[in-house]
Amino acid sequence: MSLPRWLLPFGAAVLTPQLRAVESPEWNFGTQILPILTKSGCNAGACHGAATGQGGFSLSLLGYDAAHDHAAITRELSGRRIDLADPARSLLLRKATRTIKHKGGRRLTLDSAHYATLREWIADGAPAGVPTLAVAGLTVAPADLLLKAPGDAAQLRVSAVYSDGTRSDVTALALYDSHDDAVAEVSADGVVTMRRRAASSVMIRFGGQVTAVRVAVPFQAEPVALDFEPVNFIDEHIAAELRRLHLPASPLADAGTFLRRTHLDLAGRLPNEEEARAFLVEPKREDVIQRLIGSPEFVDLWTMRLADVLLISSKKQGAEGSRVYHDWLHSQIERNTPLNNLVEELLTGRGDISRDGPANFYRLTTDPRDMGEFVSRSLLGVRLACARCHHHPFDRWSMEDYYSFAGWFAQTAFEGTRVVLKNRGEVEHPKTRKAMLPLALGAVKTEEALPADRREALAAWTVGADNPFFARVLVNRVWKHLMGRGLVEPVDDLRASNPASIPALLDALADDFVKHDFDLRHLVRTIAVSRVYQLASISTGVNRLDEQFGSHAHVKALTGPVLVDAMSQAIGVRFLPGELTAVQRHDPAAESYTLDVLGRCPRTDECGNPALYGGGLSQALHLLNGADINRSLRESAGRQVALGIGPMIESFYLRSLSRLPTDAERAYWLDQAARAPDPNAFAEDLLWALVNCREFAFIH
Amino acid sequence: MNATGPSSPVRCDGVVRRDFLHVGLMSAFGLSLADVLRLQAAPAGRVKSCILIWLDGGPSHLDTFDPKPDAPVEIRGPFKAIGTDVDGIQLSEHLRESARVMKHVALVRSLTHELGNHDTGSHYLLTGHRPTPALQYPSLGSIVARESGDGTALPPYVTVPDSVPSLRAGCLPAAFGPFAIAGDPSKPDYRVRDLQPPEWLSFERLGQRREMQRQLDQFARSIEESGDSLARDRFFEQAHQLIASPSARAAFDLEQESPQTRQRYGQRRIGAGCLLARRLVEAGTRFVTVVDRGWDTHQDIARTLPDAQFPGSGKVPDMDRAFAALITDLNERGLLDSTLVVMMGEFGRTPKINSRAGRDHWPRAGFACFAGGGVRGGQVIGRTDEHGETPEERPVRPEDIAQSILTLLGVDTTDEYQTPAGRPMKILTSGEFVSELT
Repeated sequence: MSLPRWLLPFGAAVLTPQLRAVESPEWNFGTQILPILTKSGCNAGACHGAATGQGGFSLSLLGYDAAHDHAAITRELSGRRIDLADPARSLLLRKATRTIKHKGGRRLTLDSAHYATLREWIADGAPAGVPTLAVAGLTVAPADLLLKAPGDAAQLRVSAVYSDGTRSDVTALALYDSHDDAVAEVSADGVVTMRRRAASSVMIRFGGQVTAVRVAVPFQAEPVALDFEPVNFIDEHIAAELRRLHLPASPLADAGTFLRRTHLDLAGRLPNEEEARAFLVEPKREDVIQRLIGSPEFVDLWTMRLADVLLISSKKQGAEGSRVYHDWLHSQIERNTPLNNLVEELLTGRGDISRDGPANFYRLTTDPRDMGEFVSRSLLGVRLACARCHHHPFDRWSMEDYYSFAGWFAQTAFEGTRVVLKNRGEVEHPKTRKAMLPLALGAVKTEEALPADRREALAAWTVGADNPFFARVLVNRVWKHLMGRGLVEPVDDLRASNPASIPALLDALADDFVKHDFDLRHLVRTIAVSRVYQLASISTGVNRLDEQFGSHAHVKALTGPVLVDAMSQAIGVRFLPGELTAVQRHDPAAESYTLDVLGRCPRTDECGNPALYGGGLSQALHLLNGADINRSLRESAGRQVALGIGPMIESFYLRSLSRLPTDAERAYWLDQAARAPDPNAFAEDLLWALVNCREFAFIH
Repeated sequence: MNATGPSSPVRCDGVVRRDFLHVGLMSAFGLSLADVLRLQAAPAGRVKSCILIWLDGGPSHLDTFDPKPDAPVEIRGPFKAIGTDVDGIQLSEHLRESARVMKHVALVRSLTHELGNHDTGSHYLLTGHRPTPALQYPSLGSIVARESGDGTALPPYVTVPDSVPSLRAGCLPAAFGPFAIAGDPSKPDYRVRDLQPPEWLSFERLGQRREMQRQLDQFARSIEESGDSLARDRFFEQAHQLIASPSARAAFDLEQESPQTRQRYGQRRIGAGCLLARRLVEAGTRFVTVVDRGWDTHQDIARTLPDAQFPGSGKVPDMDRAFAALITDLNERGLLDSTLVVMMGEFGRTPKINSRAGRDHWPRAGFACFAGGGVRGGQVIGRTDEHGETPEERPVRPEDIAQSILTLLGVDTTDEYQTPAGRPMKILTSGEFVSELT
């Protein structure tokens, strides 16, 4: 038979044991036998894959260490686990079929193809095969599954590409996991059944490699006539996706909503009264975006967002270091340093932490492993931490990858307040005890010599145009900030097994970002001018069920520092002590109960979900009773009464909601004011209500 | 209950805004009128409240409730075992007070799971679900908050002093998240903040503001709502009720306790926290979690678990005193039958002492203490092997713990909620009530 195995019809290739070794007559333990044990659950974390094994039999977790597992099966226990003369009497088989007592129950049946394969392999002498042959990648057909209706099902076909270039169909051996069982179910042999009109993904694992397919059923049976005129490439991707999923798009947001949204999203502040009045007369959207991107508040806001990622805090870099670090970051954003250059400076940070901002990058930790975890997660969107102790269960990273990546930081140290480079020291692999030389993620070992400061090589790889992670994780973070949800969620978890909601859009955004020299302002502008950014948040028909394809805008809560500043701005008197706005403050460890309950990222770790900070009953109590807020209200409102009640109401509305009161609202409040015994108290109370109403608290 | 037009956003629990308005603010949030009536008609459960003492970081089972005095020294560690008021139950030597109240305690020694990270392990124990990227599950306290009516001006779910992520509402509306009292309740001048307005603001003015806020929300009703905005409304409502009720505010006031009582619970955070928890359940709060940090003892347990400098204090003695005082105090006040007390952390610790004289994460074996709430005390449930490595008998999993807590509190764990995307979510999907408890 000359057809490559992965082209064979499913079933024939996989379920018939005789066809097992068609184009590789030699046995190979790692790619043929071990996957059966994995598929049967033998090496799961709760069974023999546990760090200490189970019942004296220890396998590598999910079969990532073929050499170890082969030895454990063929040599340990004086070789009693296999019986070459009488394979069916092998302990391995008798336990797995529960012919004799097995705590783990029956994992295989005597009449299964998997059992037959194992028995034959033992009969042939239980060879290890080619120990270097590994799975290099997986392909799945279809790559993207769109079914018509709930209840419809489809078979996935998985083929593995090996390090020697050969391929085989591994549909029956791969592991399948649905990202969301309520949307799609997947059987052990790779049949996906859709449960509802929605979109999700299915993760596929085999031989240490992972991938995923997107699975969906359109949100309604009938296609939609899409009312959505693309402004740029972002919109074209969105439009294609909305058509594919039969999702109608909401209309554009009105002028006031747009104005308030862009100010808060791009510059972390409200439009002031004059800006709001002018825009409502002449709503030039692109001009507003352009002006905000060039404003000092843009610099403040995006410095804060980046400082959240870099964990700038006196708790991490000390009082002086965190200030110097923050000021440096601010100056870089101000002069629009391309983000690749900015990150290069961080990765090669040197000098004195009390003087040189980037030196503080290394102040987070002096343990190269922790540093490797931090850099990969924050700047590359790769969560390596699992591979510290075993192969990453949901990603392709091995312990070798983990310790090699840590190796980049093995020679960076501190002498007092100075970052210094040692010329010796390597990270050791805890199992092999080998010194691990630095290696980029996914790279192949080369003989090339490292530069004296090895971090230069890391920096060059990180920000290189073909790095698959760096640009993507950055655009994903910016997308989330503006759109309320990342294309990939969580934003710092860019696994092949965790696909973007619209993968082509993530790729296009990353390409565009690289093409424009990692220009943050360009990126923000590109998203902000797109139609999808400017849509209304009110849903239309079935699109209320859509959370990830951009059919309508997400309602985002004002959080923490931006909420504090917006309230101060609308009230007209700052209620945090000191000269700085809340957004400008560099140290989240500086004591402020107000900022705590209104919510701020503590920068102890990635702040994935802002809702975890602040809020709740504590926030409501503080907004009602807090002395600082009430003091500024009292100070401000009294001054406003002099305007006259009508103009005062209008001014309050423009300052807090970026719109004029409707006729009904105006009439209602004029009537209330006329009944109020004390005009000062009325002004104060109305202003309190305006900065605490629902419309104020959210970006619509 | 059919208001599901396109502009009615579905909340996590599947109840739409319009239903909420129908029932009105004074009814239970998220419950229809029928539900409220059903709850009122149901025979009042004996168990009204739960106090969960959360030992954050993963308490060593070997150095507390599952000592192995006969194991080699690198396993049994630096502490001896002592007898208790129940024949056959031994505890580690620094649990002297707890040793006197074991007749009230059902001690699970076979808690076991596989998640050895703090965040995943905590999520598992505190929600009863293995973490998944698809859904953030609500904490047990949030489920109880959702299932309980509006009864009192007190928040139904409180964390003392603050929260960890898995103690939150997850995909339920944030309104079912805990009220964190914040600060350090063991400080002599401690006060829960913002329970009263500044002196120049009258209650009347606060009411006026609330009216105006409602009016503005009424004007803006065409704006898309979200679970967050509904939760916000709810929090303002709760805050108003709390501010307006002197008796509710008094529940937070530790100064109303005698110095003797405060002494009995101990002067540390965990002691003051447990005392505050007792005041709160006494006043009607349904679920209080006392969070005690610092149990991630990777090194030098001989000097940190009991504080080497100050004998009688340290992680274990402070916990011991607070735990025993809480049980004794609840019992003396006749509250033990109606209050379930649970104490646990996210996992146990490695049986073998590590090179830094500490113990590392060990999810395969750990303990959980149950007392009160109708639980049969004086018994041990499950057993680990001779080195405390793995349960040898009657393994109990996090979902079993969750089933037990919720069932004892009268929650039907087979009920189903809906997420915002319309995904159904059972309160619990697996696990069984640990029947030996009652």
